[in-house]
Amino acid sequence: MTLLERRGIPTVSYTAQGFVRDAHRSAESFGLPELPIAVVPKPFTNQEPEEIRSMVDGAIEQVIAGLTQEVARTEMPKELVFLDEEWLTFDGDDALGAFQAMNERFLSYGWSDGLPLVPPTEEALERMLRGTSRSPEDVVAVLEPGFGIATVAKIAANAVMAGCRPEHLPVVIAAVECLAEPKMYLRNKAMSTGPHAPLLWVNGPIRRQIGLNSGVCALGPGAPSFANTVIGRAVRLCMMNVGHTYPGVSDMDTVGSPLKYAACVAENEEESPWPPYHTEHGFDPETSTVTVQFVYGICELHDFQSAEPERLAEVFATAALNVAQVPTGMWLIGRRADPRYGTEEKEHHCLFICPEHAAVFHKAGWDKGDIRRALHRRARLPFRLLMLNKEPQALTLAHPELAWLWESPDTLVPVLEDADCYDIVVVGGTAGRGAFFWGAGEPVTKPIQP
Amino acid sequence: MASLRVFNPVARSVQTRLEPAPRPADLNGKRVGLYWNMKAGGDVALRRTQELLAQRFPRAQFAFYQGDVGWLMRHLTPGEADRIVREVDVLIGTTSD
Repeated sequence: MTLLERRGIPTVSYTAQGFVRDAHRSAESFGLPELPIAVVPKPFTNQEPEEIRSMVDGAIEQVIAGLTQEVARTEMPKELVFLDEEWLTFDGDDALGAFQAMNERFLSYGWSDGLPLVPPTEEALERMLRGTSRSPEDVVAVLEPGFGIATVAKIAANAVMAGCRPEHLPVVIAAVECLAEPKMYLRNKAMSTGPHAPLLWVNGPIRRQIGLNSGVCALGPGAPSFANTVIGRAVRLCMMNVGHTYPGVSDMDTVGSPLKYAACVAENEEESPWPPYHTEHGFDPETSTVTVQFVYGICELHDFQSAEPERLAEVFATAALNVAQVPTGMWLIGRRADPRYGTEEKEHHCLFICPEHAAVFHKAGWDKGDIRRALHRRARLPFRLLMLNKEPQALTLAHPELAWLWESPDTLVPVLEDADCYDIVVVGGTAGRGAFFWGAGEPVTKPIQP
Repeated sequence: MASLRVFNPVARSVQTRLEPAPRPADLNGKRVGLYWNMKAGGDVALRRTQELLAQRFPRAQFAFYQGDVGWLMRHLTPGEADRIVREVDVLIGTTSD
């Protein structure tokens, strides 16, 4: 809408009451905080037509005013707290009191993930910056949705707050680069009403150098996953304080997700029978990389019975058959797309296959490609089921050639677009239990620079 | 008494400031675009909007638009935005929940 306003077209957008702050903040980040909106009590989604018409009746005067009255260049209420000061001081009766004062203030500003933050003092920041060869003023990226300027120093401050050690900083910086990749379409995932959580997996020599856990309880919690936890947390804090993704203002996640606190592992390359994930994407085995994939949720891949690959793949494929998850059959109505950059994403799922299960596949001569193809072959649902929570007109626009499916609603349709939409990483300890993640769009992998 | 001096962790934004488009005095004789981003119910809302505006502004004309790309939510491509700029005087959208 701001794009059209800039080109001389007056606009007004219907906005549900619960999204007014989000709408103002979004318009502000595009340079037009006064962008007119017509506020309705509830979202139009999940409403009966009569209820929608009634809401429009109540808002029509706002629509007319928004289109016909000059938009006043008044100062809009700031939805987020931004302070000009580069350094902030907090006092207390003692060191613990000052620590608590900082944490209380950061909570009140919305700058905290809710857990205690390590103070980014000058000494702590300097120590953290020794973890990278990059200058503190270097701009790593501009991070959406707030178009925050991600300098090395700002990333380092958030890494300190998360509890990172200096050797973790290069991973956090590379993860921020992943987030900023146009194809990541961060704006969509950060601001959505869905529980998009950044899941990280690290490949290459740095895994061992910085103590990342790829084995027992790799996703945490616990001491063995210290590096995993603080790196994942730092990335989340960067999304908040660098990209300005703040719950209730610019992150409208309906329920939230514990995966958003921290979700980071290393691939268990030592126990994997296959080439590491990053080598499938053009990187040398000796190059360290981080991959970021936004995910909606996690479920277990449990099977103590199967010793045959087809049977194991059949069990795994059932995880993909959840119609209540956004990506299931979503390809039928199009692709996640950001027209500003001309990018499109296929929906991907990610499987953390445990070494025990990987061995079952490998023993039978299967590689990751064989597993992907088996999953794609088996993960199918009737068209009717897949379309229960999708807009029929979107199918007509995205795939007019598939209109015949309405006449054959029991036709089995793959839940993802193709076999390459299943990403496979070997992770975990010794037991037949892995993890399946319903993904949001495609993963992005970047090299980790010292 | 203890004091803690910490680095502000919040990044500055790339600042942009746009001017809103000039508004017409009323919608009579204007071409009103109705943009549905494909979220459920938005089409119903826009059709009702058209009904109400047509009663109030009998000489207004209406045209519906949907995004060229996207999935759960469809977006305008630059090409479609060009078309809207050519074809309408004002635009009403169901773009935000």
